Amino acid sequence: MEDIIKGIGLLLEFQNILLILSGVLIGVLVGALPGLSSPMAIALLIPFTISLDPVAAIAMMAALYCAGTFGGSITAILINAPGAPPAVATALDGYPMAKNGEPGRALGLAAVSSVFGGIFSLIIFIFAAPLLAKLALEFGPAEYFGLAVFALSMLASMSGKSSLRNLISGLVGVLIGTIGIHLTTGVERFTFDIPDLEEGIHFVPVLIGLFAVSELFKQSEKLNAVVERIQAKALRLPTLFELKKLKYTILRSSGIGTFIGILPAEGSTVAAIIGYNEARRWSKDKDNFGKGSPEGIVGPEAANNAAAGGAMVPTLALGIPGSGSTALILAALIMHGFRPGPYLISETPEFVYAIFGAMLIANLGFLFIGLVGAKFFSLVAFIPKKLLWPAVFIFSMIGSYSFASSMFDVWVMLAAGLVGYFMDRHGFSAAPLVMGLILGKLVEESFSQSMIIHDNNFFALLESPVVLLFFVLTFLSLSSPFWTRYFSKK
Amino acid sequence: MINNKNAPKGLGALLNKNDTIIAILLTLIIAFLWFETTKFEKVPDLFSNNIPPEMFPQILLIIILGMVLIIPFEHLFLKKSGKDIDSSRKKPVEISTIGTMVILSTIIASSQILGAALTIIAVSISLPIYWGERRVKVLISYIIGFPLFVIVLFNIILGVHFEPGLLELIKN
Repeated sequence: MEDIIKGIGLLLEFQNILLILSGVLIGVLVGALPGLSSPMAIALLIPFTISLDPVAAIAMMAALYCAGTFGGSITAILINAPGAPPAVATALDGYPMAKNGEPGRALGLAAVSSVFGGIFSLIIFIFAAPLLAKLALEFGPAEYFGLAVFALSMLASMSGKSSLRNLISGLVGVLIGTIGIHLTTGVERFTFDIPDLEEGIHFVPVLIGLFAVSELFKQSEKLNAVVERIQAKALRLPTLFELKKLKYTILRSSGIGTFIGILPAEGSTVAAIIGYNEARRWSKDKDNFGKGSPEGIVGPEAANNAAAGGAMVPTLALGIPGSGSTALILAALIMHGFRPGPYLISETPEFVYAIFGAMLIANLGFLFIGLVGAKFFSLVAFIPKKLLWPAVFIFSMIGSYSFASSMFDVWVMLAAGLVGYFMDRHGFSAAPLVMGLILGKLVEESFSQSMIIHDNNFFALLESPVVLLFFVLTFLSLSSPFWTRYFSKK
Repeated sequence: MINNKNAPKGLGALLNKNDTIIAILLTLIIAFLWFETTKFEKVPDLFSNNIPPEMFPQILLIIILGMVLIIPFEHLFLKKSGKDIDSSRKKPVEISTIGTMVILSTIIASSQILGAALTIIAVSISLPIYWGERRVKVLISYIIGFPLFVIVLFNIILGVHFEPGLLELIKN
């Protein structure tokens, strides 16, 4: 309890509150702009927050992450263009309800269920993270290797067209992580006599390139797309009667979202889709789905925001990112000199609770911002792409350059952007690559240490029941497309 | 039943053309990287604890290669689950996208000569005009206003170092 109070105390400085609220504002704005996403905004923010106090920097990013998930639903409801992937399912019923003349009600349902889902997952986070961390403190290198392999296998089921391509992307990310001087032996690997590569490839330009620049290239294909907007004067909060009718859907989706968020690599998009499907499955009014059903809005919204909180659990407790955005927060933590994982919670619990506090403020913050600014945010989506994306590119260039004052990093950003664009065209997602890049060091270090401990006998790793469990889970995760098909046929 | 004469037969029907090209390209890259790992400096076992620096990258390359070899056939499994891997690449890359790539690469290549401020102005001018923005008032206010905002925010307020480039020559 003392740590919780300390953590909240860290946040109560004026500067920190201001940064959290800025994070919320940027998050909702970015979420509301189709094409821009919270991972992209976090990637752009990292270089500029390096000089900030770590609590302020991470709190701002966590707030942006929470708010970005909600922001995406504004455009999903008003213009049928999800501002962020997790809002895809919200558009299915949000847009029809708005078209039926109730845009304020649709926005209100989305906001309230998002807040509920977010707070629900934070309550779970506050209990689950320390427990998970306590368990992980017992882990040795072999167990960490097993966990990292399991996390990599979970990349297969991340949203995207192909599990196989997700896995390849993830492993390419791990391979990129090997560039530079090998820490154990001091040998240069894949440096091609380029001095800038000796330190390895910096996270920041790769992240900015993959998320922002590749998206710019994609947007350059559809510059003249016309969207129809539905006017929304204000957000209308649901009545108590309405909430009572929807309480089980919201509660169920919050639980689903939190659970999916906690699973390594599973993000808000998967949670939203499952939340929507479950809301439909349990609904007494299935025929209304797709025509503006309130359950079709609260189901995915509670789930995607709950997943945002849930994803922070493995990120902070194990150092294994729960989603693309949390992978970036993890990268930011590493850059601030923290070692994400059980030691973060056992040694600096107040820091973890400060992040919890920031996410709580963010959840209440976007409800307030949504209440007063729904009309404004629906207009934001109409900023001409021809002016918006050059601005994004300029921020990307400055962000990549300013991180290490190196033009080489700007080239890395451009190269990552080009690679990201062509990857996406051929069904390879960028998010697994980023997660692989971030997990890479952990995988190699834990693998090397385990091999040394076990005298280079790989099978000796299986003597640990925890490693065995992770390998079984890895097998189940990789074979899931086959057994889910088998059971669905039955 | 429709008899599609153009439909590929035999092995051609099993392989996806685009994915086969990708698999060949990736295999070549993997072969090149493998060759690179053989050139890593050799370290005595005592220093490397029997884990030589090339071991981990080589394991990764083998696993990636194994997966890459499945790619040309993957469309068969994806079809069963109703996914079309070719949907996003049916159309060739748009000219506007290639043009954007060329413009941005050229600007970055010349940024060390131009300096930060002129590079920002170059992006603000070239991209909107190339993308078809023709409203003169909007363009002028954007070209002046946005770079000014960026320079004030990052260079003056946040203290990011901006290379002066050509501007220094003009000043001198």
